[in-house]
Amino acid sequence: MKNLITEKSNELLTANKELAFQNEEKEKRAAELIIANKELVFQNDEKEKRAAELAIANKELAFQNDEKEKRAAELTIANKELAFQNEEKEKRAAELVIANKELAFQNEVKEKRAAELVIANKELAFQNDEKEKRAAELVIANKELAFQNDEKEKRAAELTIANKELAFQNDEKEKRSAEREKRAAELVIANKELAFQNNEKEKRAAELGIANEELAFQNNEKEKRAAELIIANEELAFQNDEKEKRAAELVIANKELAFQNDEKEKRAEELIIANKELLAFTYISGHDLQEPLRKIQTFVTIILENENANLSENGKYNFKRMQLAAGRMQQLIDDLLAFSRISTTELKFEKTELSWIVDEVKTELKDTIQEKNATIETNELGPVNIIAFQFRQLMYNLISNALKFSKPDVPSHILITSRIIKGSSIKNEKLSPEKNYCNITVKDNGIGFEPHFSERIFEVFQKLHGKEVYAGTGIGLAIVKKIVENHNGIIIATSELQQGATFNIYIPAS
Amino acid sequence: MNMNSKQLNILLADDDADDCLFFKEALVELPMSMNLIAVHDGEQLMHLLINETIDLPDILFLDLNMPRKNGFECLSEIKSSEKLKRLPVIVFSTSFEQEVVNRLYSNGAHYFIRKPSEFSQYKKIIQQSLELVDQGVLTKPAREDFVLTVKKIL
Repeated sequence: MKNLITEKSNELLTANKELAFQNEEKEKRAAELIIANKELVFQNDEKEKRAAELAIANKELAFQNDEKEKRAAELTIANKELAFQNEEKEKRAAELVIANKELAFQNEVKEKRAAELVIANKELAFQNDEKEKRAAELVIANKELAFQNDEKEKRAAELTIANKELAFQNDEKEKRSAEREKRAAELVIANKELAFQNNEKEKRAAELGIANEELAFQNNEKEKRAAELIIANEELAFQNDEKEKRAAELVIANKELAFQNDEKEKRAEELIIANKELLAFTYISGHDLQEPLRKIQTFVTIILENENANLSENGKYNFKRMQLAAGRMQQLIDDLLAFSRISTTELKFEKTELSWIVDEVKTELKDTIQEKNATIETNELGPVNIIAFQFRQLMYNLISNALKFSKPDVPSHILITSRIIKGSSIKNEKLSPEKNYCNITVKDNGIGFEPHFSERIFEVFQKLHGKEVYAGTGIGLAIVKKIVENHNGIIIATSELQQGATFNIYIPAS
Repeated sequence: MNMNSKQLNILLADDDADDCLFFKEALVELPMSMNLIAVHDGEQLMHLLINETIDLPDILFLDLNMPRKNGFECLSEIKSSEKLKRLPVIVFSTSFEQEVVNRLYSNGAHYFIRKPSEFSQYKKIIQQSLELVDQGVLTKPAREDFVLTVKKIL
């Protein structure tokens, strides 16, 4: 019995020891599982941190994309601006070309024009400077863009590496989970949950990867666009250069033209001075010749009066010839003085009633008009913009000519009219077709002249009659023509022998 | 105002000896009683008019082109002087220029005469002008009558 009890108690002791041992083992395993779980939780935390960093990196990338788009938009505007400036420059260049043609064509009014071109050129140079500055700014902007693109690429590459690292760590984690499943059946569910979370995170990482690729693609597109813009900018810059060269050539051409104009103006000025000196000489000499000539004439008349009884008939005749010659010389001097005065005095235009001028001349010629039994008829004489004292001389010369060359047996009749006409109605190259002209006509019924003399009668010293028949120096109509030219007009004489003469004056109407 | 019986005091300012001779010759044949004083430049003329205690002459014949002081200057001085401005001035000149004549008219000259080349005309024009003075016609004429010509006298 005692043996039986002892055996039984021994068996119980052994079973207890076994149980205690098994309990210890189980406690050790539970402790290991707890450590493994803690490890897994830690790894999950790490993964979440990584994912958060990736999200921040993505936002940064998206922000940089926005910035890039803004830059691209700015570049587009800058390009449009450049294109607009190119158009402006082309217009300017076209204007300059027209200005050059105009310059070449109108040498007389060149001085003013040249001054305007110089200003226009300065403006062009200023705009070129502005464009160069702008182009320089664009180049800097492009460089900045390229630099930012580089930065983005670097960042994208870094992101890719970070993603790969994440994927690798995920793989590692999966392997560890499988081991853990074997070791801890109770934690399987927890692990599956974690694995699911990992899958989700992987999906997220994959999505982020796709988003990164998309961003990288967009970056590439933008780089292409930037590259195209750079090419467009270079093209524009090239065109700017070409246009600047063209403008520079035009500037040189303008300078050359301006120089030639200056030379021509100098020459013209010299000629004008020489001409004025000549006319001044004519005037002064004519003036000073008057006095001795007058005294010769006076002494001749004193001798003829006081010594009449002592002179032979031949002597008296010779003195009379001397008187006539002196009288002609006086007339010549008077006419030459008038001719030179027309050219030397200041041209002062003023609105004047033509009828007043005709009335003045009629008063002055009163005696001759009576003597010739002449009538002077006027109608429609309006106001004209003229150099009054010159026009008075003109009317005087024309009317006194009409009286002088009247038919001896027919009362002289002179008709003076004025009207406004269009240049196009008179076929004459010196008149502008689109301008208005004042047409003044002086028509007589005198002896007239053969039509082929119609130009020659206006030349200085040209006479159609001997001085014994019609006195005169042949200067009167030359003065008339000069006065008409001083008024920027033309004069046309028409006549037939014995059919009267008509003088048509055309001066610009104001 | 001069009475017909009174002697006419004439002052002539002309630097040219021939012209002074013509003037004297012309006066000789005129029926009026006259006293002629001649000066030969503008300074002499103004000195005589301002400083000498003579009575103002009845008429001054003034040449334009004179040494030292020309006719224009003399006319201006005469017309701006209280003492002298009533003195009638007839400008007597070789040349005839519209602008010059206009200027003389507005500067206060009474008449303008262009010296005639024929002596008979010379005499007539002087006679005509002296008759105007003698009759006391000293008022300034209208512009169209400013230039005395022989034809008008006929």
